[in-house]
Order: sequence, then C-alpha cells, then structure tokens
Amino acid sequence: MEIRPILSALMRNKTGALLIAAQIALTFAITINAAYVIRDRLAIAARPSGVDDEQRVLAVRYTMNSPQNIDAMAQRDLRSLQAVPGVESVAITNQVPLGGGGWSGSFAVQNRRESPSVNAGMVFDDGHLLPTLGVKLVEGRYFRPDEILVIDPNTSRDNPPTALVTRGLAKTLFPNEASVLGKTVYLGNTADSPALQIIGVVDHIETPWAQTSERHLNSVIFPQRLLQPYNYYVVRLRADAAPDTRQQILDTLARNEPDRVTTRGLESIADLRAKRYRGEYAVAGLLLAVTVFLLIVTASGIVGMASLWVNLRRKQIGVRRALGATRADIVRYFITENLMISGTGVVAGLVAAQLLNALLLRQMSLPPLPWGGLAFGVVALLLLGVGSVLGPAMRASRLSPALATRSI
Amino acid sequence: MLKMEGVQKIYRTDLVQTHALRSLSLEVEEGEFVAVTGPSGSGKTTFLNIAGLLETFDGGRYTLDGKDVSRLSDRERSKIRNVKIGFIFQSFNLIPDLNVYDNVDVPLRYRGLASGERDRRIKEALERVGLASRLKHLPSQLSGGQQQRVAIARALAGSPRILFADEPTGNLDSLMAREVMNMLEEINAQGTTIVMVTHDPELARRMHRNIHIMDGQASDFEDRSDAPVDRIAPRAAAAAPAVG
Repeated sequence: MEIRPILSALMRNKTGALLIAAQIALTFAITINAAYVIRDRLAIAARPSGVDDEQRVLAVRYTMNSPQNIDAMAQRDLRSLQAVPGVESVAITNQVPLGGGGWSGSFAVQNRRESPSVNAGMVFDDGHLLPTLGVKLVEGRYFRPDEILVIDPNTSRDNPPTALVTRGLAKTLFPNEASVLGKTVYLGNTADSPALQIIGVVDHIETPWAQTSERHLNSVIFPQRLLQPYNYYVVRLRADAAPDTRQQILDTLARNEPDRVTTRGLESIADLRAKRYRGEYAVAGLLLAVTVFLLIVTASGIVGMASLWVNLRRKQIGVRRALGATRADIVRYFITENLMISGTGVVAGLVAAQLLNALLLRQMSLPPLPWGGLAFGVVALLLLGVGSVLGPAMRASRLSPALATRSI
Repeated sequence: MLKMEGVQKIYRTDLVQTHALRSLSLEVEEGEFVAVTGPSGSGKTTFLNIAGLLETFDGGRYTLDGKDVSRLSDRERSKIRNVKIGFIFQSFNLIPDLNVYDNVDVPLRYRGLASGERDRRIKEALERVGLASRLKHLPSQLSGGQQQRVAIARALAGSPRILFADEPTGNLDSLMAREVMNMLEEINAQGTTIVMVTHDPELARRMHRNIHIMDGQASDFEDRSDAPVDRIAPRAAAAAPAVG
C-alpha cells in the first residue's frame, strides 16, 4: 500500500483534502444524529396500540347538544350499531387508543402522601370494550356483566372496586412482584383515595396521547359506563364487511338522534395512528431530506475534488502508468487517498457527532448514540467516499501511459 | 533485444486518419546504445511510445527481449514496463509532491518488492547517480540536472533490460547535458541497452548507431560506432535539415 507517500503528498496539498475531510466530519455528525432521530421517531410511530387489526376497529366521538336520557340513547345506539351488517361488536367508552384526548389519573400503591404516584390513562369499559378493541388479557379475568357500574357524574362520585391494568403499569407500580393479581392500587395517594383491586392484566392499550415517554404504557381499565353527553362508540367490523358499512354506521347514528354532533366522523384506529404520528413522520421526512441532501452535497464534493485532482495529475498518472502501474493500481491509489481523507473526516465526525448528541440529549430526551449506529455510520460514510471517488478513479485509470511523453 | 517488423500506427479522429508509423522495421541488439533521430512529426515519439509499450499499434509485429508483445493485455504490458523497461523523459517527469527517495520508489512499489529490498535498490541507484545525500529533497529543490539524475536513478532502480530515453538532455544546459550523457554511457557500458530519441546530432554521433525516422519509417539504421554521422548517413542528414 502507498499510504506513506500518499500521506506525504497530501500533507503538501492540505487545503482541498482538509475541506473535504471537514465536510465529511460535518456530514457524519449531522447525518448520524439525524438518522438516530429518524429511527427514534419511526420507532415511536410503529409502537403497537394493543388493538388487534387497527383497520377494522372504528371509533366515533359524539357530543349531545340537548339534555336527554343519555343511557337510554346509548343503549339504543349500541343495539342499532350491532345490527348493522358487517359489524362484529360494539362498545361505549370515554376514550380510545391514539384518540388524542381522554382521562388520566394518578395511581399509587398506598393511600399516603409519601407514596409515589404514577400517571395513567383511565379507560371506561362497558363490558364489551376489550373484545371490540381486540386487546389481549394476559393474566387474571375480564369483567363480569354484574361488575359494570353505570355512573352519573352529576349524582355520584362512586368508583368501581375492581380494575384491570396494563402490563406496563403493573411493572411500574409493582416492579418486584411476579403477579399483581389481587393487589390494591389507589386512585390518588391520600387517605380518602378510592381503592381498586386488580383482577386482571392486559398486554397493552395505548393511551389517547401516545406519549413519547414510558407513560404511554400506563392505563387502568374501569368496569363502568359514565353517563356524560360526549363519549365514543367503538365498532369492530367483520373481516368481510362491505365497503359502505362505515356510511351505514353514520346513517344509523344520525337516524337515532339527529341532534348530535359526531365530532370527527368515523375514524379507524389506523386513521388515528396516522393522525397522531403525523408529526413524527414529518420530522423523520424532513431529517431524511436534509440527510440525503447533505450526503449528495458531500458525495458531489468528493466527486468534484477527485475529478479536479485527476485533471491536475493527468501527467503524473501517465508517468505512473509508464513506470508500471496497472489500471487497478491507479484506482487503488485514488481509493486509498480518499479513504485517508474520509477516515480523517469520520474520526473528526465521531467527536462532532458525540457533541451534537450531547446537545440533543438535553433538548430532545434522546438516549445516547449507540455504538452499533456509530459503527454503521463510519462504514456508510467510508463507502460513500469510495463510491464517490470510484468514477473519477476509473477515468484516471483509463488515461494512456503515453501521456508521460506528451507535453500537457 | 528489440525487433519491429512492419509496425504501423494510425491515429484516427472523426475526420482524419494520420499514419504516424508506416511499416516501421528495425532491430536493436542487446547492449547497444542507439540514437533515434528525425524531424518533428516524423514519428520518433510514436516509435518510442510503441517500443516502450506505452501505446498499442495497428499492424506488424514487435518482439521485445525475445517475447512477442504485439497482442498483450494492458496488465501484461504494465508488468513488462515495470520489470524490463526504464524510462527517462525530457521533462524528467518526477512526481512533484514526493521526495527523491519516494520518486525512485514509485516503480518498485508497483513491482511489489519488500520494503527492505526497495530501500537497498533506491539507495544504490541514488548512490550511482551521486544523489545519495538528497533523499529527502523535493524535485523543486533540485537543479534540472539533478532532477534528471533522479529520473535516471528511478529507471535504474528496477534493473531494466532496456532504457528508453526521450530527449533526456533537451531541458538541460550543455554542462548538465554532458554530465547526463556520460552517465548514460556508463550505464550502457555496464550492459544496459539504451534507445535514445534526440534532436542533437552531437549526441547522436556519440552512440553506436543512429536510426533515422522519416515519415513514419526508419530510413537508416547503420552501425556508426566508428564513423562520424555526416559521412555515414548523408541521406538521413539531408532528409532532416531541421535536426539539431
């Protein structure tokens, strides 16, 4: 290998090489962090909601404009919806996974101020919600029909005595317990906080907010119907449901009670997912565009510089060929030279990437860059360098050795 | 050592075909020191390029050191250039960013020699041309004569069977030119065949033979080792008034 003579030649023409190395360093630092943020955002957007087959589960949020018998209307709606051809099951609840808004509360393992509390989503299940969502029960049992309370918030402050929790919340509340069945949690950490006995654990049900922190894993499911003028109907369609089933559902609701606003129409959980993670996709797309742009600029810089060097060294290349260099030797020369420049840039880029990452850690709560990702970045940038220099190097290798005897 | 029979070289563009060599035939024996003369555009450089395997040719046959080199691959030609041939160019053609040592090292690296062997050859070659004390100098820090001596060392370090010199004294003053010629004569005396393209009749006169190329053909290649140029080759001299 010609490392020493190439290095010695580079040291005599530092400016161009240093500019390219600096460009590679900057590109490395930015793209590696951008790639990491992109991966983080896409991973967030790909998190499971706990809902089985999100396309088939529809949610409609309604608001009543006039006072009426809310429970009677809800029961009538549920019966009508269940009768729509193509509907597998229906439920009424206060919030849906990825829905954007809902209830949350603080839960503690003791009803004392010293006991730390954990924030969790509060899901009201009418006894049909989990099968309708397709959420998996992994431990314990589901609610019996007689456990479902009908609560009018205007007249009652009651809470059901039992609840289901998500696996994530169970681990947070009872990190050292193999099973949380039969354990008591409190809705709050004061002496008068209502107690709930855990009778079952579900795998996961995403909170309506789908927070980026671990809190998105925490939900408590209460066996209750809350009589309030705004709620969600959740509908699971059969796999063979006709395309117009959605419209039939909306028509049914409109027929039952025209004086009602279905705030956002009928949306599948998949629609809600797309809406919730639009920001994540936008950030990922923007960063991807910046990354691709930077890589193109850097690759162009390398191609430009290598082409310039080939043109400036036509005579030298001819002389090397005359002295016995094969075409492969010439290609190898330029690739080695490029690897030395890129290598310098990548080493500087590693330092810059760590500094940038430290800044992002503070601003975006990202975990530190993984070594595997850094290693991938190093290899990718070196390959980019080699790929960019390959064209000019091949052109150089095709120069005639007879150039050595010509005046250029 | 070198034998060309009916070698042709045609340069083609979209509009024009130029016959640079028309059925050139000549022979150089091992150990000879031969001058190749001829007016500008006569085909001297084309001959040198083909003889030195820097260019391919379109017709005829060329045998170098007993091997037919007419139809070799680019890689094989590179190998022969590297092992059997040494080049000395008019403008020295040293690599400006490399010091004297590394310049002499260039062909040896392509041969894949071990570093110890390369080091020995480089130092020996530079000792031979009197530049052993200038290993770390850049070409720009040397005089023209010294640069040409580095180029000779570079050619010698590979122990070539034949040396092609393209106007090696063309860019030197008379004192340095003489020095370089003395050096080439010494190298030839030690057994290396040398073919030298020159415009200078004085230099041509010092060599064993003068091959005169005219319009792409070798018009004269007589033994001139014991006779002055103007008596032995009146036809060549008359055909090339611009020479010198």
